[in-house]
Amino acid sequence: MTRMAAYEEHQGKKDISISAYFRGDYISFQLLKSAIYATVGFALAVAMYVLYNMETFLEDFYKMDIVEFFKDILSKYCLVMAIYLVISYFVYSYRYHRAKKHVKQYNQLLRALLQMINIDRKGRKY
Amino acid sequence: MESLLIVKQQLTRFYTRFEAYIVPALKFFAMFFALLFIGSSVGFMSKLKNPAIVLIISLLCSFLPTNVIVLMAGLVIVAHMYALSLECAVVVLFIFIIMYALYFRFTPGDAIVVILTPVTFAMHIPYVMPLAMGFVGNPISCISVGCGTAVYYILHYISEHQDALSDGGTGELDIEGMMGGFKSVIDGILKNDVMIVMIVTFAATIIAVYLIRRLKINHSWHIALGAGVIVCFVVLLISSVVLDAEVGIGGAILSLFISSLIVLVLQFFIFNVDYSRAEYVQFEDDEYYYYVKAVPKITLDAPDVRVRSNNVRRAQEDYDDDEDDF
Repeated sequence: MTRMAAYEEHQGKKDISISAYFRGDYISFQLLKSAIYATVGFALAVAMYVLYNMETFLEDFYKMDIVEFFKDILSKYCLVMAIYLVISYFVYSYRYHRAKKHVKQYNQLLRALLQMINIDRKGRKY
Repeated sequence: MESLLIVKQQLTRFYTRFEAYIVPALKFFAMFFALLFIGSSVGFMSKLKNPAIVLIISLLCSFLPTNVIVLMAGLVIVAHMYALSLECAVVVLFIFIIMYALYFRFTPGDAIVVILTPVTFAMHIPYVMPLAMGFVGNPISCISVGCGTAVYYILHYISEHQDALSDGGTGELDIEGMMGGFKSVIDGILKNDVMIVMIVTFAATIIAVYLIRRLKINHSWHIALGAGVIVCFVVLLISSVVLDAEVGIGGAILSLFISSLIVLVLQFFIFNVDYSRAEYVQFEDDEYYYYVKAVPKITLDAPDVRVRSNNVRRAQEDYDDDEDDF
């Protein structure tokens, strides 16, 4: 009972909220959040790249092929996003699976506890 | 061994009894030492170095969630960087946001690791973190240990090159100087071979320790520690040769030795089992058959000091002797 209470207090809260979702819904939602984080991170990395090459950009601004530059950036963005989302998919699939397993074990223990309580009540009646 | 087990039991009891006070105290000391380290290495803003301010921030953090503590430490560093130069502050802020996005998505529970890693670097025992996280974490802990390592090397680089990176405190907007400043800061931080060597080494160590300690073999934790030390040293050697980075191998060996001793103590507290009494049991429920290897923990109750009287037993023995005489 102590372990059940401790689980319910800490990890259980997260696990129960995760297992309330369907698998597809949970993973899609997490992938969407990962995509936002990856976009912010990539935007900052591009900003740093621009700051790093500021001199070159200012000198060659009119000579450079802007379309080619943006294509290059976009292809790198797609690559980063793909890697990030694949990692996120595996991580959140694993977390969903783990949460389901823990909640299942918790429910089994709850059932066992209820049975014990019922047996105890019946014993008192007789 | 018995006395160690008694100490362990007493410490566990003490922690269970005073957990409500111990956890905030640990957070306080972690933040306090982290702020002292930040102040000593990149303390460019004198107001934030003031002991009273350090104490207030540490006290505040002792009641906040660990993720907020990381955020707070990051803000303190950026404020110090701003006092040095705007370029440093911008670059460090960008890197921190990227790291925070990466770390926060995957390992939000490892916040304290991000703080402790630079602290262990400052104490010259950085190998404690990858070895320990291999035991108490999972392979994704590479991210939090990697972020902590990056933070340390960023601070280290800036503290060593503060004269070159300083804007001289003129406050004038010099565009050319700023562009050069950005370039040198980014170069110095991202092209740091030693930092890359350490991140690769730590990641390899965490994964090796994690994989071996989860094997279903006896003494897997001890084998994992030994293998982790070897993997750490070999990867350190190879990556430092490949990247041509200057890593002090003698210091690394000594630090690895001390770190492995510390992790051995940690292991004693979190996983201490008796393999000689292992049992293999089989049972079933409605849905599964279970084939379980049960390894008992080595436990010993701390002795309670109490006065016992043996008079009753003595009297009983006398009575039995009298009965035998008949």
